[in-house]
Amino acid sequence: MFKDLDPILHSQLRLAVMSLLIGVKEAEFTFIKDKTGSTAGNLSVQITKLKEAGYVEVIKQFKDNYPQTICKITAEGITAFETYVKALQSYLPK
Amino acid sequence: MAEKPLTEQESLLIIQQMINRAKSNFVDTGIGPMLWGAVITICSLVQAAKIYFDLEMNFDIWLLALFALVPQVFISIKERRERKAKGWDDDIMSYVWTCFGISVFLVNFINNRISIELSPAIEAYRAAGNTIQSTWSFASCFLLLVFGFPTIITGAARKQRWMLAGGIFCWVSVIIAAFTPTYVDFMLMAFAATLSWLIPGMIIRKKYLQQKTTHV
Repeated sequence: MFKDLDPILHSQLRLAVMSLLIGVKEAEFTFIKDKTGSTAGNLSVQITKLKEAGYVEVIKQFKDNYPQTICKITAEGITAFETYVKALQSYLPK
Repeated sequence: MAEKPLTEQESLLIIQQMINRAKSNFVDTGIGPMLWGAVITICSLVQAAKIYFDLEMNFDIWLLALFALVPQVFISIKERRERKAKGWDDDIMSYVWTCFGISVFLVNFINNRISIELSPAIEAYRAAGNTIQSTWSFASCFLLLVFGFPTIITGAARKQRWMLAGGIFCWVSVIIAAFTPTYVDFMLMAFAATLSWLIPGMIIRKKYLQQKTTHV
């Protein structure tokens, strides 16, 4: 039985962001940008979608007088990611 | 990273790649372990030489460890500033090493108290023609015991085999040091510091520089 894949996560960049954030407690926007190799604009749009879905928490603050954006995966995000991986496994040949 | 429809295999590949990239987040520069490995090795070797050759020194070599706190503070601040992601175990590691620093201070405090209280009795016992080790011969056992804890935890958590081996060596040295003369204890301590911090620090540093070069 094939399970439906979460459309929020079933996107290249959003999935990459979630996979990065699952491995760390929190990460700066620039870190995510470097690791995913995406543009700032596109990444910002995708992070906003993840935030609206409740999968990530975005904290905007100042560090050494420069604006800093920190992203954290939420408990809801972890559950959604785990569900997505499980659903993905059902599609793979056994 | 462009947006396009994903296949299941591609999804799995992205997950795997990103988890690995998060793991290779080069926050450990290796300078801290190198600094402390070198300082403790030097202090221990000087202390061993001082005891073995009965050298007169007008200063306490262990003050070097106190002075090393100054660059350590700067290193910590710099590393914190450079850090762009925080791992799940970063806070735990900070607590572990802070507890270690406090433990070393407390153990030294207790060792000094024991030495002050028992030295007259030991001197009197020696004056009567008997042979007995100084209290410092056993004090090093407690220090080695404390050295082992954070080293083993960090070695196991961060998968640093040299650090793990160094931590285990610290604990093995506790047993050896309980039976050996004081100068041997300090040589064991020097070797333990080299194995636990100096060598792993150099390995971490090499990896850090390699990763930095590939990411430029």
